[in-house]
Amino acid sequence: MQPYRITLATILQRKVWIIAILCVLVLPMILPYLTSYERNPSLIEPARAQAAWICLWVVSLAWILFQAARFGDDSARSGLGAYFLSAGISRISQMFQLWCACLTFLVPLVMVTVAVCLIGAMPSGEGQAQIWIATNLQYAALFLLVVAPLALVAISVGSRFGATVGYLLPLSLGLYGIYGVGYLAMMTSVQGNVVIEWLYVISPHYHLADLTPRLVFKHGTMLTSEFLHLVAYFIGIKLVLSMLSTICFQAKSAT
Amino acid sequence: MKFMCNSPAIGITDGLSIGYQSRLAVAVGDIELGCGTHYLLARNGRGKTTLLRTLAGVIKPIIGGFACDGRCQLLSEDLTFDRELTAKVVFKSLLNKKGYIEAMTLAEQLELDTAKTYGKLSTGNKRKVALLVAEFSTNDGRPDILLLDEPFTGLDSFAREIFQELWGKRQEGVLRLVSCHPDFDSMEMNSSVLISGGEIIHLHAEDAPKRWGDLKSQLN
Repeated sequence: MQPYRITLATILQRKVWIIAILCVLVLPMILPYLTSYERNPSLIEPARAQAAWICLWVVSLAWILFQAARFGDDSARSGLGAYFLSAGISRISQMFQLWCACLTFLVPLVMVTVAVCLIGAMPSGEGQAQIWIATNLQYAALFLLVVAPLALVAISVGSRFGATVGYLLPLSLGLYGIYGVGYLAMMTSVQGNVVIEWLYVISPHYHLADLTPRLVFKHGTMLTSEFLHLVAYFIGIKLVLSMLSTICFQAKSAT
Repeated sequence: MKFMCNSPAIGITDGLSIGYQSRLAVAVGDIELGCGTHYLLARNGRGKTTLLRTLAGVIKPIIGGFACDGRCQLLSEDLTFDRELTAKVVFKSLLNKKGYIEAMTLAEQLELDTAKTYGKLSTGNKRKVALLVAEFSTNDGRPDILLLDEPFTGLDSFAREIFQELWGKRQEGVLRLVSCHPDFDSMEMNSSVLISGGEIIHLHAEDAPKRWGDLKSQLN
Protein backbone atom coordinates (compact mmCIF):
# COMPACT_ATOMS: atom_id res chain seq x y z
CA MET A 1 0.00 0.00 0.00
CA GLN A 2 3.02 2.34 -0.22
CA PRO A 3 1.92 4.11 -3.44
CA TYR A 4 -1.54 4.68 -1.93
CA ARG A 5 -0.15 6.05 1.31
CA ILE A 6 2.33 8.44 -0.24
CA THR A 7 -0.23 9.68 -2.76
CA LEU A 8 -2.74 10.27 0.00
CA ALA A 9 -0.09 12.08 2.04
CA THR A 10 0.73 14.25 -0.97
CA ILE A 11 -2.90 15.29 -1.47
CA LEU A 12 -3.23 16.08 2.22
CA GLN A 13 0.01 18.04 2.23
CA ARG A 14 -0.96 20.16 -0.80
CA LYS A 15 -4.03 21.35 1.15
CA VAL A 16 -6.07 22.17 -1.97
CA TRP A 17 -8.57 19.62 -0.68
CA ILE A 18 -9.62 22.21 1.90
CA ILE A 19 -10.67 24.57 -0.91
CA ALA A 20 -12.43 21.70 -2.68
CA ILE A 21 -14.39 20.79 0.45
CA LEU A 22 -15.25 24.44 1.09
CA CYS A 23 -16.44 24.81 -2.52
CA VAL A 24 -18.93 21.95 -2.27
CA LEU A 25 -19.94 22.87 1.27
CA VAL A 26 -20.12 26.67 1.34
CA LEU A 27 -20.86 27.76 -2.23
CA PRO A 28 -24.25 25.96 -2.39
CA MET A 29 -25.24 27.93 0.72
CA ILE A 30 -24.16 31.29 -0.69
CA LEU A 31 -24.90 31.11 -4.43
CA PRO A 32 -28.72 30.85 -4.21
CA TYR A 33 -28.78 34.13 -2.28
CA LEU A 34 -27.03 35.90 -5.15
CA THR A 35 -30.14 35.37 -7.29
CA SER A 36 -33.41 37.35 -7.12
CA TYR A 37 -34.77 34.78 -4.72
CA GLU A 38 -37.03 37.32 -2.97
CA ARG A 39 -39.59 36.90 -5.76
CA ASN A 40 -40.10 33.29 -4.80
CA PRO A 41 -38.29 32.17 -1.62
CA SER A 42 -39.49 28.59 -2.09
CA LEU A 43 -36.98 28.25 -4.95
CA ILE A 44 -34.05 28.65 -2.59
CA GLU A 45 -33.92 24.96 -1.72
CA PRO A 46 -33.99 23.55 -5.27
CA ALA A 47 -31.44 26.21 -6.22
CA ARG A 48 -29.23 25.03 -3.37
CA ALA A 49 -29.41 21.45 -4.59
CA GLN A 50 -28.61 22.61 -8.11
CA ALA A 51 -25.64 24.66 -6.89
CA ALA A 52 -24.37 21.76 -4.77
CA TRP A 53 -24.28 19.30 -7.66
CA ILE A 54 -22.87 21.81 -10.14
CA CYS A 55 -20.10 22.68 -7.67
CA LEU A 56 -19.34 18.98 -7.30
CA TRP A 57 -19.11 18.49 -11.07
CA VAL A 58 -16.81 21.51 -11.42
CA VAL A 59 -14.57 20.56 -8.50
CA SER A 60 -14.32 16.95 -9.64
CA LEU A 61 -13.58 17.72 -13.27
CA ALA A 62 -11.20 20.55 -12.40
CA TRP A 63 -9.41 19.28 -9.31
CA ILE A 64 -9.74 15.49 -9.04
CA LEU A 65 -8.84 14.90 -12.70
CA PHE A 66 -5.93 17.33 -12.50
CA GLN A 67 -4.59 15.67 -9.37
CA ALA A 68 -4.97 12.26 -10.96
CA ALA A 69 -3.09 13.32 -14.09
CA ARG A 70 -0.28 14.81 -12.00
CA PHE A 71 0.08 11.68 -9.91
CA GLY A 72 0.34 9.56 -13.05
CA ASP A 73 2.95 11.90 -14.48
CA ASP A 74 4.92 12.23 -11.24
CA SER A 75 4.92 8.48 -10.65
CA ALA A 76 6.56 7.76 -13.98
CA ARG A 77 8.97 10.71 -14.01
CA SER A 78 10.08 10.84 -10.39
CA GLY A 79 11.49 7.33 -10.38
CA LEU A 80 9.02 6.29 -7.67
CA GLY A 81 7.16 4.06 -10.12
CA ALA A 82 10.38 2.24 -11.00
CA TYR A 83 11.23 2.02 -7.30
CA PHE A 84 7.89 0.40 -6.46
CA LEU A 85 8.18 -1.83 -9.52
CA SER A 86 11.56 -3.08 -8.32
CA ALA A 87 10.05 -3.71 -4.88
CA GLY A 88 7.49 -6.03 -6.43
CA ILE A 89 4.50 -3.70 -6.74
CA SER A 90 3.22 -4.29 -10.26
CA ARG A 91 2.34 -1.37 -12.50
CA ILE A 92 -1.34 -2.32 -12.44
CA SER A 93 -1.32 -2.38 -8.65
CA GLN A 94 0.42 1.00 -8.63
CA MET A 95 -2.19 2.47 -10.99
CA PHE A 96 -5.08 1.25 -8.87
CA GLN A 97 -3.42 2.49 -5.68
CA LEU A 98 -3.05 5.98 -7.16
CA TRP A 99 -6.68 5.75 -8.26
CA CYS A 100 -7.84 4.68 -4.79
CA ALA A 101 -6.03 7.67 -3.29
CA CYS A 102 -7.94 9.99 -5.65
CA LEU A 103 -11.22 8.24 -4.81
CA THR A 104 -10.48 8.69 -1.11
CA PHE A 105 -11.03 12.39 -1.73
CA LEU A 106 -13.74 12.09 -4.36
CA VAL A 107 -16.10 9.98 -2.26
CA PRO A 108 -16.19 12.41 0.70
CA LEU A 109 -16.87 15.27 -1.73
CA VAL A 110 -19.90 13.36 -3.04
CA MET A 111 -20.99 12.61 0.52
CA VAL A 112 -20.74 16.29 1.46
CA THR A 113 -22.84 17.21 -1.58
CA VAL A 114 -25.50 14.67 -0.71
CA ALA A 115 -25.43 15.93 2.88
CA VAL A 116 -25.90 19.53 1.69
CA CYS A 117 -28.90 18.44 -0.37
CA LEU A 118 -30.39 16.41 2.45
CA ILE A 119 -29.82 18.97 5.18
CA GLY A 120 -30.10 22.22 3.27
CA ALA A 121 -32.70 21.42 0.62
CA MET A 122 -34.91 18.62 1.95
CA PRO A 123 -38.60 18.96 0.98
CA SER A 124 -40.99 19.20 3.92
CA GLY A 125 -43.46 16.36 3.22
CA GLU A 126 -42.46 12.89 4.40
CA GLY A 127 -43.19 11.23 1.06
CA GLN A 128 -41.31 13.89 -0.86
CA ALA A 129 -38.41 13.65 1.57
CA GLN A 130 -38.01 9.94 0.87
CA ILE A 131 -38.08 10.54 -2.87
CA TRP A 132 -35.55 13.32 -2.40
CA ILE A 133 -33.18 11.04 -0.49
CA ALA A 134 -33.50 8.25 -3.06
CA THR A 135 -32.93 10.61 -6.00
CA ASN A 136 -29.81 12.05 -4.38
CA LEU A 137 -28.43 8.59 -3.71
CA GLN A 138 -29.11 7.56 -7.31
CA TYR A 139 -27.38 10.71 -8.50
CA ALA A 140 -24.38 10.03 -6.24
CA ALA A 141 -24.00 6.50 -7.59
CA LEU A 142 -24.20 7.61 -11.23
CA PHE A 143 -21.85 10.51 -10.59
CA LEU A 144 -19.20 8.20 -9.13
CA LEU A 145 -19.61 5.79 -12.04
CA VAL A 146 -18.83 8.66 -14.43
CA VAL A 147 -16.03 10.52 -12.65
CA ALA A 148 -14.10 7.60 -11.10
CA PRO A 149 -13.19 5.97 -14.46
CA LEU A 150 -12.24 9.37 -15.85
CA ALA A 151 -9.78 9.73 -12.96
CA LEU A 152 -8.28 6.38 -13.89
CA VAL A 153 -7.88 7.59 -17.48
CA ALA A 154 -6.20 10.77 -16.18
CA ILE A 155 -3.68 8.71 -14.18
CA SER A 156 -2.77 6.37 -17.01
CA VAL A 157 -2.62 8.99 -19.77
CA GLY A 158 -0.69 11.30 -17.44
CA SER A 159 1.88 8.60 -16.79
CA ARG A 160 2.54 8.14 -20.50
CA PHE A 161 2.00 11.56 -22.05
CA GLY A 162 2.46 13.97 -19.15
CA ALA A 163 0.11 15.81 -16.82
CA THR A 164 -1.28 18.27 -19.40
CA VAL A 165 -2.49 15.63 -21.84
CA GLY A 166 -3.48 13.43 -18.92
CA TYR A 167 -5.74 16.16 -17.65
CA LEU A 168 -7.16 17.51 -20.90
CA LEU A 169 -8.10 14.15 -22.41
CA PRO A 170 -10.48 12.90 -19.68
CA LEU A 171 -11.74 16.45 -19.14
CA SER A 172 -12.63 16.72 -22.84
CA LEU A 173 -14.19 13.27 -22.76
CA GLY A 174 -16.25 14.23 -19.72
CA LEU A 175 -17.42 17.56 -21.17
CA TYR A 176 -18.20 15.89 -24.48
CA GLY A 177 -20.25 13.23 -22.74
CA ILE A 178 -22.14 15.80 -20.69
CA TYR A 179 -22.69 18.56 -23.28
CA GLY A 180 -21.29 17.55 -26.69
CA VAL A 181 -23.45 14.47 -27.12
CA GLY A 182 -26.55 16.68 -26.88
CA TYR A 183 -25.41 18.70 -29.90
CA LEU A 184 -24.67 15.47 -31.72
CA ALA A 185 -28.23 14.33 -31.02
CA MET A 186 -29.55 17.53 -32.59
CA MET A 187 -27.34 16.99 -35.63
CA THR A 188 -28.52 13.42 -36.13
CA SER A 189 -32.15 14.52 -36.02
CA VAL A 190 -31.50 17.25 -38.61
CA GLN A 191 -29.00 15.61 -40.99
CA GLY A 192 -29.55 11.86 -40.67
CA ASN A 193 -25.87 11.20 -41.41
CA VAL A 194 -24.88 7.57 -40.75
CA VAL A 195 -21.41 8.50 -39.46
CA ILE A 196 -22.83 10.99 -37.00
CA GLU A 197 -25.43 8.46 -35.93
CA TRP A 198 -22.72 5.89 -35.21
CA LEU A 199 -20.66 8.49 -33.42
CA TYR A 200 -23.70 9.26 -31.30
CA VAL A 201 -24.19 5.60 -30.46
CA ILE A 202 -20.61 4.95 -29.39
CA SER A 203 -20.25 8.24 -27.49
CA PRO A 204 -20.24 8.12 -23.69
CA HIS A 205 -23.63 9.51 -22.68
CA TYR A 206 -22.53 11.08 -19.44
CA HIS A 207 -25.44 13.53 -19.59
CA LEU A 208 -27.63 10.63 -18.48
CA ALA A 209 -25.86 10.70 -15.12
CA ASP A 210 -26.74 14.35 -14.61
CA LEU A 211 -29.88 14.20 -12.49
CA THR A 212 -29.78 17.89 -11.57
CA PRO A 213 -32.96 18.77 -13.54
CA ARG A 214 -34.71 15.83 -11.90
CA LEU A 215 -33.83 17.26 -8.48
CA VAL A 216 -34.55 20.88 -9.32
CA PHE A 217 -37.92 20.24 -10.94
CA LYS A 218 -38.75 17.44 -8.50
CA HIS A 219 -39.42 14.79 -11.12
CA GLY A 220 -38.93 12.09 -8.53
CA THR A 221 -36.64 9.09 -8.53
CA MET A 222 -35.70 7.10 -11.58
CA LEU A 223 -37.51 3.81 -11.96
CA THR A 224 -35.39 0.99 -10.57
CA SER A 225 -35.17 -0.72 -13.95
CA GLU A 226 -34.15 2.53 -15.65
CA PHE A 227 -31.56 3.19 -12.96
CA LEU A 228 -30.10 -0.32 -13.20
CA HIS A 229 -29.88 0.00 -16.98
CA LEU A 230 -27.89 3.19 -16.54
CA VAL A 231 -25.67 1.59 -13.90
CA ALA A 232 -24.95 -1.31 -16.27
CA TYR A 233 -24.25 1.14 -19.10
CA PHE A 234 -21.77 3.15 -17.03
CA ILE A 235 -20.13 0.00 -15.67
CA GLY A 236 -19.66 -1.05 -19.31
CA ILE A 237 -17.95 2.27 -20.08
CA LYS A 238 -15.90 1.90 -16.92
CA LEU A 239 -14.69 -1.54 -18.01
CA VAL A 240 -13.67 -0.22 -21.43
CA LEU A 241 -11.86 2.78 -19.91
CA SER A 242 -10.21 0.59 -17.26
CA MET A 243 -8.94 -1.76 -19.93
CA LEU A 244 -7.53 1.09 -22.01
CA SER A 245 -6.01 2.67 -18.90
CA THR A 246 -4.36 -0.60 -17.95
CA ILE A 247 -2.73 -0.80 -21.35
CA CYS A 248 -1.69 2.86 -21.33
CA PHE A 249 -0.30 3.19 -17.79
CA GLN A 250 3.45 3.08 -17.38
CA ALA A 251 5.18 3.01 -14.03
CA LYS A 252 8.53 4.16 -15.35
CA SER A 253 9.64 6.70 -17.89
CA ALA A 254 10.65 5.41 -21.31
CA THR A 255 14.41 5.88 -20.81
CA MET B 1 20.13 -19.91 -11.35
CA LYS B 2 18.16 -20.16 -8.08
CA PHE B 3 19.44 -19.80 -4.56
CA MET B 4 18.00 -22.02 -1.87
CA CYS B 5 19.07 -20.17 1.27
CA ASN B 6 17.36 -17.37 3.22
CA SER B 7 20.14 -14.85 2.74
CA PRO B 8 19.88 -12.49 -0.23
CA ALA B 9 21.82 -13.27 -3.35
CA ILE B 10 22.22 -12.14 -6.93
CA GLY B 11 23.30 -14.60 -9.57
CA ILE B 12 24.28 -13.42 -13.01
CA THR B 13 24.88 -16.12 -15.57
CA ASP B 14 27.69 -16.04 -18.07
CA GLY B 15 26.56 -14.28 -21.25
CA LEU B 16 23.94 -11.96 -19.72
CA SER B 17 23.68 -9.03 -22.14
CA ILE B 18 22.29 -5.72 -20.98
CA GLY B 19 21.24 -2.65 -22.92
CA TYR B 20 18.24 -0.97 -24.50
CA GLN B 21 18.24 -1.35 -28.27
CA SER B 22 21.88 -2.31 -28.59
CA ARG B 23 24.13 -4.29 -26.25
CA LEU B 24 25.99 -2.24 -23.65
CA ALA B 25 27.80 -4.98 -21.79
CA VAL B 26 27.92 -8.74 -21.38
CA ALA B 27 28.73 -10.81 -18.28
CA VAL B 28 31.93 -12.82 -18.52
CA GLY B 29 31.68 -15.87 -16.29
CA ASP B 30 29.05 -16.57 -13.66
CA ILE B 31 28.79 -13.91 -10.99
CA GLU B 32 27.42 -14.65 -7.55
CA LEU B 33 26.92 -11.94 -4.95
CA GLY B 34 25.88 -12.60 -1.36
CA CYS B 35 25.24 -10.57 1.79
CA GLY B 36 27.22 -7.39 2.27
CA THR B 37 28.22 -4.45 0.13
CA HIS B 38 29.42 -4.81 -3.45
CA TYR B 39 30.53 -1.85 -5.53
CA LEU B 40 29.59 -1.48 -9.15
CA LEU B 41 32.28 0.46 -10.96
CA ALA B 42 32.48 1.71 -14.50
CA ARG B 43 33.11 4.86 -16.44
CA ASN B 44 30.19 7.01 -17.59
CA GLY B 45 27.79 5.45 -20.08
CA ARG B 46 29.15 1.91 -19.69
CA GLY B 47 25.92 0.44 -18.29
CA LYS B 48 25.93 0.74 -14.50
CA THR B 49 22.38 2.08 -14.32
CA THR B 50 21.25 -0.33 -17.03
CA LEU B 51 22.62 -3.29 -15.07
CA LEU B 52 20.89 -2.14 -11.88
CA ARG B 53 17.60 -1.57 -13.72
CA THR B 54 17.91 -5.00 -15.31
CA LEU B 55 18.54 -6.71 -11.98
CA ALA B 56 15.59 -4.83 -10.47
CA GLY B 57 13.32 -6.17 -13.21
CA VAL B 58 12.53 -2.69 -14.50
CA ILE B 59 13.95 -3.50 -17.94
CA LYS B 60 14.54 -6.84 -19.62
CA PRO B 61 17.98 -8.14 -20.49
CA ILE B 62 18.76 -8.46 -24.19
CA ILE B 63 19.74 -12.07 -23.68
CA GLY B 64 20.76 -14.30 -20.79
CA GLY B 65 19.53 -14.84 -17.30
CA PHE B 66 19.97 -13.72 -13.73
CA ALA B 67 18.35 -14.46 -10.40
CA CYS B 68 17.70 -12.18 -7.47
CA ASP B 69 16.86 -13.99 -4.28
CA GLY B 70 15.34 -11.36 -2.03
CA ARG B 71 13.15 -8.30 -2.16
CA CYS B 72 14.75 -5.78 -4.49
CA GLN B 73 14.70 -2.04 -4.14
CA LEU B 74 16.12 0.08 -6.91
CA LEU B 75 17.18 3.49 -5.72
CA SER B 76 17.75 5.27 -9.00
CA GLU B 77 19.77 8.42 -9.19
CA ASP B 78 16.76 10.45 -10.31
CA LEU B 79 14.39 9.24 -7.57
CA THR B 80 12.53 12.22 -6.14
CA PHE B 81 9.51 12.81 -3.96
CA ASP B 82 6.81 15.43 -4.18
CA ARG B 83 8.27 18.84 -3.38
CA GLU B 84 5.47 19.60 -0.90
CA LEU B 85 6.20 16.56 1.26
CA THR B 86 8.46 16.73 4.27
CA ALA B 87 10.99 13.97 4.89
CA LYS B 88 9.01 13.03 7.97
CA VAL B 89 5.85 12.46 5.93
CA VAL B 90 7.82 10.46 3.34
CA PHE B 91 9.17 8.19 6.09
CA LYS B 92 5.72 7.83 7.64
CA SER B 93 4.17 6.91 4.31
CA LEU B 94 6.78 4.44 3.14
CA LEU B 95 8.21 2.85 6.27
CA ASN B 96 6.79 0.69 9.01
CA LYS B 97 6.82 1.96 12.58
CA LYS B 98 10.21 0.50 13.46
CA GLY B 99 11.78 1.73 10.23
CA TYR B 100 10.28 5.18 10.77
CA ILE B 101 11.82 5.51 14.23
CA GLU B 102 15.21 4.32 12.99
CA ALA B 103 15.09 6.63 9.98
CA MET B 104 14.21 9.63 12.14
CA THR B 105 17.06 8.82 14.53
CA LEU B 106 19.59 8.56 11.75
CA ALA B 107 18.17 11.67 10.05
CA GLU B 108 18.98 13.62 13.17
CA GLN B 109 22.52 12.26 13.16
CA LEU B 110 22.82 13.22 9.48
CA GLU B 111 21.55 16.74 10.23
CA LEU B 112 18.61 16.26 7.91
CA ASP B 113 15.76 18.65 8.69
CA THR B 114 12.78 16.30 8.50
CA ALA B 115 10.29 19.14 8.91
CA LYS B 116 11.47 20.96 5.78
CA THR B 117 9.61 20.29 2.54
CA TYR B 118 11.43 18.12 0.04
CA GLY B 119 11.51 20.90 -2.56
CA LYS B 120 13.48 23.12 -0.20
CA LEU B 121 16.14 20.53 0.65
CA SER B 122 19.60 20.65 -0.90
CA THR B 123 20.65 17.97 -3.40
CA GLY B 124 22.58 16.08 -0.74
CA ASN B 125 19.73 16.19 1.74
CA LYS B 126 17.28 14.98 -0.91
CA ARG B 127 19.59 12.05 -1.48
CA LYS B 128 19.64 11.31 2.24
CA VAL B 129 15.83 11.02 2.25
CA ALA B 130 15.87 8.43 -0.54
CA LEU B 131 18.74 6.50 1.06
CA LEU B 132 17.01 6.39 4.43
CA VAL B 133 13.81 5.12 2.82
CA ALA B 134 15.68 2.32 1.06
CA GLU B 135 17.81 1.45 4.07
CA PHE B 136 14.95 1.22 6.54
CA SER B 137 12.54 -0.52 4.20
CA THR B 138 14.56 -3.63 4.81
CA ASN B 139 12.94 -6.12 7.15
CA ASP B 140 14.44 -8.41 9.74
CA GLY B 141 14.19 -12.03 8.64
CA ARG B 142 13.56 -11.19 5.00
CA PRO B 143 16.37 -11.20 2.43
CA ASP B 144 16.71 -7.71 0.98
CA ILE B 145 18.59 -6.51 -2.06
CA LEU B 146 19.36 -2.80 -2.34
CA LEU B 147 20.40 -1.63 -5.78
CA LEU B 148 21.79 1.83 -5.17
CA ASP B 149 22.56 3.96 -8.19
CA GLU B 150 25.18 6.58 -7.31
CA PRO B 151 23.87 7.05 -3.76
CA PHE B 152 26.76 9.32 -2.79
CA THR B 153 25.99 12.00 -5.37
CA GLY B 154 25.72 15.28 -3.52
CA LEU B 155 26.53 13.75 -0.12
CA ASP B 156 29.32 15.24 1.93
CA SER B 157 32.01 12.97 3.34
CA PHE B 158 30.47 13.24 6.82
CA ALA B 159 27.16 11.76 5.62
CA ARG B 160 28.86 9.23 3.40
CA GLU B 161 30.91 7.87 6.28
CA ILE B 162 27.77 7.52 8.39
CA PHE B 163 26.10 5.49 5.67
CA GLN B 164 29.15 3.31 5.10
CA GLU B 165 29.38 2.69 8.83
CA LEU B 166 25.68 1.76 8.86
CA TRP B 167 26.16 -0.65 5.97
CA GLY B 168 28.99 -2.28 7.88
CA LYS B 169 26.70 -2.80 10.86
CA ARG B 170 23.66 -3.94 8.89
CA GLN B 171 25.06 -6.65 6.67
CA GLU B 172 22.94 -9.54 7.92
CA GLY B 173 20.23 -10.37 5.41
CA VAL B 174 21.00 -7.40 3.17
CA LEU B 175 22.86 -7.31 -0.12
CA ARG B 176 23.86 -3.88 -1.42
CA LEU B 177 25.06 -3.34 -4.95
CA VAL B 178 26.29 0.23 -5.04
CA SER B 179 27.27 2.07 -8.19
CA CYS B 180 29.55 4.99 -7.52
CA HIS B 181 32.45 7.13 -8.61
CA PRO B 182 34.71 7.22 -5.54
CA ASP B 183 36.68 10.40 -5.06
CA PHE B 184 39.49 9.14 -2.87
CA ASP B 185 41.95 6.40 -3.74
CA SER B 186 42.04 4.75 -0.33
CA MET B 187 38.32 3.78 -0.39
CA GLU B 188 38.11 0.07 0.37
CA MET B 189 36.09 -2.27 -1.82
CA ASN B 190 36.25 -5.91 -0.83
CA SER B 191 33.93 -7.00 -3.61
CA SER B 192 33.51 -5.07 -6.83
CA VAL B 193 31.69 -5.63 -10.08
CA LEU B 194 33.41 -3.89 -12.97
CA ILE B 195 31.99 -2.97 -16.34
CA SER B 196 34.93 -2.37 -18.59
CA GLY B 197 35.42 -2.83 -22.31
CA GLY B 198 31.83 -4.04 -22.64
CA GLU B 199 32.38 -6.85 -20.13
CA ILE B 200 30.86 -7.34 -16.69
CA ILE B 201 33.29 -9.00 -14.32
CA HIS B 202 33.39 -9.66 -10.59
CA LEU B 203 36.59 -9.04 -8.63
CA HIS B 204 36.48 -10.71 -5.27
CA ALA B 205 39.44 -13.07 -5.08
CA GLU B 206 42.08 -12.64 -2.39
CA ASP B 207 44.59 -11.23 -4.84
CA ALA B 208 42.08 -8.88 -6.53
CA PRO B 209 42.59 -5.15 -5.97
CA LYS B 210 40.69 -3.90 -2.93
CA ARG B 211 41.14 -0.15 -3.15
CA TRP B 212 39.67 2.32 -5.59
CA GLY B 213 43.13 3.64 -6.41
CA ASP B 214 44.12 0.21 -7.77
CA LEU B 215 40.75 -0.55 -9.35
CA LYS B 216 40.28 2.60 -11.39
CA SER B 217 43.20 1.78 -13.69
CA GLN B 218 41.27 -1.31 -14.83
CA LEU B 219 38.28 0.69 -16.06
CA ASN B 220 37.97 1.38 -19.73
